[in-house]
Amino acid sequence: MRYFLLLLASCLIAQAAVPPFQARADAMIDAYAHYSGKGDYGYAEIAARLKRHEQPEWCSRRLQELLAAGPTGDMFWMFPMTAIAYLDQGQLSEPARDAMHRVWKTYMPYRGDTENHFLLYYSCLYLMSQLWPDAGPTDWYTGKSSQENMAEASAWIESWVKLTTTRGQGEYDSPHYMGVYLLPMSYLAAWAKDPAMKKRAEMMLDYLIADYAPENLDGLYVGSHARVYEDQLVEKWNGVSSDFGWLWFGLGHPLKVPANYVLYYLLASAYEPPEILRKIATDRSRPYTHYERKRTRNRWRFHDDLHGPVYKTTYVRKEYAVSSDQGGELQPIQQHSWDVTWHVADARGVQNTFFFAQPYSSMRELQTYLVFPPDGAIEGIVKSKKTYDSPDKILGGSPYEKIVQDQDALVVLYDIPPGTRFPQINGFFSKDLAEVKEDPSGWIFMRGGESTYIACRPLQPYSWKAFADGSRRLFSPWLQNGVVVQAAPTAEFRDLEAFSQAIKALELTFSLKPTPSVAFRSLRGTQIELTYGQTPRLNGKPIDYAHWPLFGGPFLQADVDSGRLTLRYGANERSLDFKSLTVQVR
Amino acid sequence: MIWSLSLLLPLPLAAQWTLFACAANSKDYVVGAKLPASGLFFDKKGEWTHAGYNHPFLAALDYDPSDPSTIYLAAGNGLIRAAKNGTDWTILTGSDVTELRDVAADRRDPATIYFAYSHGIRVTHDRGKTWQELAGKLHRKYAEAIRIDRDRPRVLLTGGEEGIFRSEDGGHTWQIAGAAGIPILRIEQSPHDACYWLATSQGAGLFASNDCGKTFENIGRIGVGRNLYSIAFDPTDVKRIAIGGWGPGVAVSEDGGKTWQERNAGLPRPEVWSVVFDPEHSGRIFASVQQEALYVSDDAGKHWKMDGLEGSVARQMKFVPK
Repeated sequence: MRYFLLLLASCLIAQAAVPPFQARADAMIDAYAHYSGKGDYGYAEIAARLKRHEQPEWCSRRLQELLAAGPTGDMFWMFPMTAIAYLDQGQLSEPARDAMHRVWKTYMPYRGDTENHFLLYYSCLYLMSQLWPDAGPTDWYTGKSSQENMAEASAWIESWVKLTTTRGQGEYDSPHYMGVYLLPMSYLAAWAKDPAMKKRAEMMLDYLIADYAPENLDGLYVGSHARVYEDQLVEKWNGVSSDFGWLWFGLGHPLKVPANYVLYYLLASAYEPPEILRKIATDRSRPYTHYERKRTRNRWRFHDDLHGPVYKTTYVRKEYAVSSDQGGELQPIQQHSWDVTWHVADARGVQNTFFFAQPYSSMRELQTYLVFPPDGAIEGIVKSKKTYDSPDKILGGSPYEKIVQDQDALVVLYDIPPGTRFPQINGFFSKDLAEVKEDPSGWIFMRGGESTYIACRPLQPYSWKAFADGSRRLFSPWLQNGVVVQAAPTAEFRDLEAFSQAIKALELTFSLKPTPSVAFRSLRGTQIELTYGQTPRLNGKPIDYAHWPLFGGPFLQADVDSGRLTLRYGANERSLDFKSLTVQVR
Repeated sequence: MIWSLSLLLPLPLAAQWTLFACAANSKDYVVGAKLPASGLFFDKKGEWTHAGYNHPFLAALDYDPSDPSTIYLAAGNGLIRAAKNGTDWTILTGSDVTELRDVAADRRDPATIYFAYSHGIRVTHDRGKTWQELAGKLHRKYAEAIRIDRDRPRVLLTGGEEGIFRSEDGGHTWQIAGAAGIPILRIEQSPHDACYWLATSQGAGLFASNDCGKTFENIGRIGVGRNLYSIAFDPTDVKRIAIGGWGPGVAVSEDGGKTWQERNAGLPRPEVWSVVFDPEHSGRIFASVQQEALYVSDDAGKHWKMDGLEGSVARQMKFVPK
């Protein structure tokens, strides 16, 4: 009884510490509407104040100033403008409104070359055309009428929804770009007049949030990711996902200044996820394995199919998460294929993650996904993705990496052709790892936070290189290489020594020539076999990639091409059918 | 009338041309960042003038033969009709094509326009109201170059990831014409001999056809191991040809492509995206040097001086009849 009362009290305290959804939302909007620092937040501050119905004269004046200076930002300029146009509601002055109208003729935003660019571009073009339905071709930079713009935009949005809900997202599970997908859906859910478009967007909000919910640990988006930036890679809290994890579920901590993606999400639909999603996102009482199928970005060259499949496995428990794709070059530049992420009470400033990468940099990769000419492309990429062509980089996929995962064990193999630009692998050893011990057996044992032991067995000799922030890089310059990883809760062992003894007792055999090959009996008793270039086997059975679900696991289920996603938690069920645009709740 | 004359003669009689350039000032630009003046430029009495919208991604241009004041632009946002000397833009395509690479307007039929793009080749026969896909039967769809044979109706040449392909039926079927497996960057037809074609490649040098584009053979070693982006035939000299590339810079042949000399004296670096000869001044040639400027030479590349568009990359330049 006493234990129960203590538990109840602690739950109440924990709940009290997290303000309700509306309060979290208000605080994020106020961070922009009531900004008191130097200068202002430009369009974002105007939009936030219009939402609050505050200082309309300032909003009009500032908007005219910004527009007079000349728009920049391509499709990223379109989303603040669209929000301002819809939040106006009679607050802006006529001159400000006229200036806003004129600029859609005088400025042509570049549509970009990624799905997030296109989704922003077409969602905003759709809504602005809806706002001015009688505008003719001479009123628009497109040279098309509002009706033509809307038809083009809605066709693309519908095709993207269909592709995503049948074959998976292309820029999947990005701790940063998730915001760029949520924002247009929030806009369309709030402002589209067409009931089908509105409904589709509302359902896509559920879909996108569901995509994140089972793959978060304390609000952090665990790997693998189609696109991630390096600061978010090593310090996972740095992602836009932290804002959304906090907003939706009260998990973790938002960014110091909320990203403008979450702001604009809130200025439009401000959709609060249903209870079933909250439970899926927060219940880590039992370990589970979650599966997803995604797809590559458009592959313009070197492939017969425009999109290739991505097979994701994510194992989550309250202490840590282990996540991976199948390896290979699945996205350009910013792919992150696998990691272990461990629980910490407060992830701000903490590098609570562990992973390896093969630092692949090539013109072929860029030309696969982008229309770059062969010269100047890598230099062009390095302008914004600084480490793309660096030997010490830890971000990016590699065609020479193959991965298999079972629960909290991973086997990763590398077979790097001679002549490859950076013929090595780099392991990221966080400054926040504790008790790192290099065992004579070849295993490296370590502890992540208070909750997680990690064992890592590089298959070739290595050396250590220091990063400036105190973390280290394991550098192993061998063409045939690999690493075996096993995570476990600290609670399962007396201490690190007991953990290391248990790991060393596991069966592990490997060979590296002529082809890397590993057989490993995991801590959970699964026989994991991977030979580079062959289908991995679990307990003797080859993995059935042909029947990999779009979503699979205890919480989310969807078959490829079904267009139907079912969320399950206990007896509760929520089914999204994108073919009929219906939601069933049970 | 101008377009019908141009069918009879390789060069318009009227000696009035305007040089247009698809140029971007993209040195510090990434998508979403502030873009310095970029897009379509034309040479207005020695001054480079920006026409139409700021756009970071123009790969190529051509003009309407029935009304050369209308320019067609292969753009990131689609196929753009830039009427009124490039100032009045309309996007003629929709969401289904992106990142266009090349454009060719049919001199015989001004309603017909072809473009090459990231995932195929498209044609319109009604000035852009409707489009048909033509790359369906190509193994790999990526298309970097498209040209229309000016003498042979329905004959097209395209270059992409896997070589040079020729069609005799307006693009419905394609046959490999050369450079099998080699990425092609540009194809041009000689204005003097309609059966002579050149194609540049990624890494494998220059390819030539003497049989109306039916077969191409590698010629010489110019540009092998480097990348050649541009071909210019001198309209005033049947033997003079120039190519532009990274490594060779500007290379000029005075004997119809048999031998080549690199002519880069006065260029800041031999990294050249495009070259074009002036049809009104024999031996005058323009070259775009990587993020430096446009340069001009009055002696077929022996000496160069800066002409304008500093900091730019001009993917293509073209003289358009006034």
